[in-house]
Amino acid sequence: MQQSGSGAILSIRGLTKRYAGATALNNVSFTLQAGEVRAICGENGAGKSTFVKMLMGIVQPDGGIISVAGTAHEIRDALQAQSLGLGLVAQELSLAPDLSVLDNIWLGSTEVPFFHRRSSLRARAQQALATLGVGDWDLDRTVGALSIGQRQIVEIARLLARKARVLILDEPTATLSDIEIEKLMQVLRAIKARGHSIIYVSHRLGEVFELCDSVSVLRNGEHIVTKPVRELTRESLIELMLGRAFEEMYPERADASAAHHGGLRIKNLHVPGAVEDLSVTAPRGKILCFAGQLGSGATAVTRALAGLHDKATGDISIDGRTIRLGSARPILAGEVVFVTEDRAGEGIFPELPVRDNLVVSKLAICSRWGVISWRAVRKLADDLAAQVTVTCAHLGIKSGYLSGGNQQKLLFARAVGRATPAVLVMNEPTRGIDIGARAEIYRLMRRLCGEGYVLLMASSDIEEVVGMADIVVTLYRGRVVACYEGAAVRMPSILRDIANPDIPDGQVA
Amino acid sequence: MRKAILRLVPPAMGSITPLNRFRRLDGSQIRAILHAVFILALMIAALATPGFLSGPALQSLLTTISFIGCVAVGMTLVTISGNILALSLGATVGASALVVIAASNRSGLAEAIPLALMFGSMVGAVQGALIGCLRANPIIVTIATSVLIYGAAQPITGNAAFYAVYPTSDSLLNARLLGMPIEFVVFVAILLICQFLLSFTVFGRNVFMVGDSFNAARAAGLRPWATIIGAYSCAGAFSAIAGIMLALRYGRASMEFGLGYDYSAIAAVLVGGTAISGGQGSAIRTFAGMMIIGIVQVVLLLQGFRQEWQYLITGVIVLGVVLLSPPAGR
Ligand SMILES: Nc1ncnc2c1ncn2[C@@H]1O[C@H](COP(=O)(O)OP(=O)(O)OP(=O)(O)O)[C@@H](O)[C@H]1O
Ligand SMILES: [Mg+2]
Repeated sequence: MQQSGSGAILSIRGLTKRYAGATALNNVSFTLQAGEVRAICGENGAGKSTFVKMLMGIVQPDGGIISVAGTAHEIRDALQAQSLGLGLVAQELSLAPDLSVLDNIWLGSTEVPFFHRRSSLRARAQQALATLGVGDWDLDRTVGALSIGQRQIVEIARLLARKARVLILDEPTATLSDIEIEKLMQVLRAIKARGHSIIYVSHRLGEVFELCDSVSVLRNGEHIVTKPVRELTRESLIELMLGRAFEEMYPERADASAAHHGGLRIKNLHVPGAVEDLSVTAPRGKILCFAGQLGSGATAVTRALAGLHDKATGDISIDGRTIRLGSARPILAGEVVFVTEDRAGEGIFPELPVRDNLVVSKLAICSRWGVISWRAVRKLADDLAAQVTVTCAHLGIKSGYLSGGNQQKLLFARAVGRATPAVLVMNEPTRGIDIGARAEIYRLMRRLCGEGYVLLMASSDIEEVVGMADIVVTLYRGRVVACYEGAAVRMPSILRDIANPDIPDGQVA
Repeated sequence: MRKAILRLVPPAMGSITPLNRFRRLDGSQIRAILHAVFILALMIAALATPGFLSGPALQSLLTTISFIGCVAVGMTLVTISGNILALSLGATVGASALVVIAASNRSGLAEAIPLALMFGSMVGAVQGALIGCLRANPIIVTIATSVLIYGAAQPITGNAAFYAVYPTSDSLLNARLLGMPIEFVVFVAILLICQFLLSFTVFGRNVFMVGDSFNAARAAGLRPWATIIGAYSCAGAFSAIAGIMLALRYGRASMEFGLGYDYSAIAAVLVGGTAISGGQGSAIRTFAGMMIIGIVQVVLLLQGFRQEWQYLITGVIVLGVVLLSPPAGR
């Protein structure tokens, strides 16, 4: 048995995990005090998820010792981690959508007897929700009816009800809107006040500074440093994560695009239940952003343009040629490239090698009479990988093993290397992506602008919209509020438009 | 809290005990090892079985697996395309056999064979269209098709077999290539064609992509529905070839020809290690699975086990392999 520092609830020594292609985590040690809120920061693929999965017994380490409250344990599975007081809200949520909030809170718990409609369980679930400031929620509602942010809170309540002492959250805010993030922050502060320890993995540095006491930085599987937050600035933290100075997130806008003609014209776009009567023109060589919150219709516009909405109607033309909506025709014809927000569900092909994922829609140009030349495919894949700067052991590994940022780059690879500039439609293009990869993707987007692409993106990240857009169309409940161009693209007016456009100008601080 | 751990002194994490080492192997490595052990055991059992290496037993093994093998190769395509399993291929075999005999009695083999092939692929294409375009459940569609075919055949045949007016010439039936029966040669050709399709054609790569993620294929601008129709058409055509070969060998055709082929083909696909969840697998693997099952059955037969036992043991092997395979959607 190993004793560590007095108040240490969690002590990790020399934790190591190797995969066939790479070392995900190498000799990582740190100590978490009771009541401490620790952030873990690092680029995509730094090993953050691997680290928390090892704490939870989901992944078995190749070496190292994990001590909980002073006692070393070999954590074999999630049940054991649960009994030790560790609880995880995973990067992918794990609730059963058809069951009620109550059932989800107790699902898989070791305490639940066979017949589990016990009033004490009900009371404890209610109490856990009350702790989080949402005691008024109906325990019998099905989870499927909740928003993602609310589900996140159910996951946390589930851990509290099991008396978790250390809460581990892996990128909880990646898919939340600003308002939901604020709610989650409140909840986490409440938990912190009650003396729970939290391990908080996030790419959003604002949250780190707002919530956490200290930060551990991982880089390429190595533990770089652990520091109190007050000794760090945003810039110094980014530098620690990247291992180099970080110059500029947003590349400069191209000057007036006199060189490009034509573009995409949308007239009277209707998407039942989502978008009403939207008309805009997106010139080549510019980035047009649809800004709006969840339910504003920004996502629906992009999906309709990609042909993924069966019931969308409207007149769409590219350079004056009409394209058909309501089927995947424009994508099929190669005129539109779509980058989805749901990378795992409809983005990459997780079981297939990186190479296949790079050349997806370009197989035709590597083949003759339908027969592929693998030499040409390899050459093209190498070329594309270099253009979008994918980093992985080799192009033969399953793309599902890549980190989020690299997976996203695979999607962007579909846009580059085309004979003629296309229309690139993106939905939340940098969701869950680290700062370094983000900047690279932004640079790539600008490069495509320079080549005469039309870029359209829907984003709920206003900083990103202001940083990247040449034209911003703000949406509220399916309707266009306003359209800003050039110098008129400014944060306050956009924020007002998407929150509630009916309040007149003067009243917003 | 301590109660959770019964052992007082937990072992150091890095220690390498044999059990630890075994646990550290991932699923695919364990599978590979067990596969190898199993195949070795099978070889020994086969060689130790008197009469196994003698001509007739081996010849009949090769002929038998050729018929089911054609179906299994088609089943592989469908499975890789992400549509779990096709349960209509056995019915397609029987129906194609009927078509080829009926047509050859009327207008000769030269027209009958392409006609039967066309019939098989059309039956496949219709199912593919239902599944690919309308996203109907593949198991329901293929079971319905199977029932439909058996139902439609009954009034036409009156439950009797069709007999060929001009039996196939003996010289063709006894033709050998490198000592292998003609059916086996055809089967190997189909196998190679299918593997070529999968590995070296745009269609084949699309089958993998659609099987891995239908939605991703759609969002990437592929035509997943077309790929699925293609996969089912090929499966139908390959099954038709099995039907044609059976009809020619026996000089007659009946709906009983394809009976049970679906399940044997599924067994071969699974034993070969093609993922039920789609996106992974190969025709060559199915061939290996087919050989394993074929050899097991011949060994059992020669060792004097009854038919029922053969089914039972084959079932156990399939179950074992499926249990060993990694969970889908990892
Ligand atoms: N099953 C696996 N097989 C091989 N390599 C893997 C496997 N799982 C993860 N890896 C590799 O381990 C490294 C760390 O992955 P991990 O998911 O921990 O990163 P992360 O820091 O959570 O990234 P992100 O910010 O994108 O979530 C990556 O390089 C990844 O490719
Ligand atoms: Mg992660």
